[in-house]
Amino acid sequence: MKDRLLLLGYAVAVLAATSIHDPLWLIVGLLLAFAAAGREAPTIGWRALRAVLVFNLVISVGYAASALFGQTVSVDYLILVNLRVFLLIFLTFTLAARVDFLRAVNFSRPLTYLTTLVLSQIITFRRLFEDLRLAGESRRLRRLRLRESYLQSAAAAVHLFDRAEHDAREIALAMRARGFFRPDAGNDARGD
Amino acid sequence: MHVPDGFLSPQTYVPAFVAAAGAWAYAARQLQRRLDDTLLPRLAVLSALGFVLMSVMLPLPGGTSVHASGIGILAVVFGPWLTFAVVSLVLLLQALVFGAGGITVLPVNALAMGLAGSAAACLGYRLLKGLDERAGLFAAGWLAAVVPAVLIAIVLGVQPAIAHTADGQPLFFPFGLSVTLPAVLVPHVLLGIAEGLLTILVVSFLRRR
Repeated sequence: MKDRLLLLGYAVAVLAATSIHDPLWLIVGLLLAFAAAGREAPTIGWRALRAVLVFNLVISVGYAASALFGQTVSVDYLILVNLRVFLLIFLTFTLAARVDFLRAVNFSRPLTYLTTLVLSQIITFRRLFEDLRLAGESRRLRRLRLRESYLQSAAAAVHLFDRAEHDAREIALAMRARGFFRPDAGNDARGD
Repeated sequence: MHVPDGFLSPQTYVPAFVAAAGAWAYAARQLQRRLDDTLLPRLAVLSALGFVLMSVMLPLPGGTSVHASGIGILAVVFGPWLTFAVVSLVLLLQALVFGAGGITVLPVNALAMGLAGSAAACLGYRLLKGLDERAGLFAAGWLAAVVPAVLIAIVLGVQPAIAHTADGQPLFFPFGLSVTLPAVLVPHVLLGIAEGLLTILVVSFLRRR
């Protein structure tokens, strides 16, 4: 129930943030979002800032540069769009910190299992990628030539595939052992 | 090619959510019907690969980004509807974990990349594989990069016309089609070549195993 209320509140906040075009109201919304995030507000704020910084800089600079070509440029627009984008990302990260994502997709068991597997693969990929990068760096005395770095990347990719497929197969076998794939299990096991 | 959050008007993303909801319902039924203990691990591995490829994004001056996606690979191996389901899932995870893309732009990104991109990839592959298998795979990867880019450039480019103030100032995305089409398309036509080669490499690798 709590998760559903949070999702509803988030949906209303997102609709409001994209329907209001007054920067002052967006600042009020941002203050409310900071209050809702509580002690996590600075951490979430910093994450949101890092997530939007590059894109918003590119668009803001591009828009401002259009003044050089005789276009009318509005500072109000720059304030409005940057505030709105930051508010939306802040709201999304606050929601992600508050809601259990796997519980949010539990209306469909196949989707829950697929999400679990994909998340586990992403974690596996990221950890292995970092391990391989560190292992490579600790074993070389000079910078790799282009061909060598391609060969190393290809070997790393094959290893990542092998490892990820092995792990996913193990999880699928465990799911089979628990009756998930039984054809006679009907909606109870395959679920919706 | 993600559209970042906050640049699409409600007049765009609300109807897109309605359209995507129908497509998600159909894709969920397909997923439920086809999911078994051989499909599930492979789907999870390739989805995670897609997540990793999409995470390496370079911003473009037109306000979007360029990145590989693996959608051509997913489309050839699983078909358009399963690809749409997993790409939507990957986009949702990216929005929640990294703030890449976003919730308001999720349906547009999912429909363009997951459905239109994968359908075009499947069509290109089926048309060309009879002539040459590798040409079909290359076409799948290239189309999976270029078709969504065209759609996203159009959706972004019409925003100043859809949502603006009384004096004509934009409220959401500021650039029109004359900027978005070349800014998004040119890099993606080139990226499509890399995506096509990646599709040949990965699908050939998977078939040898």
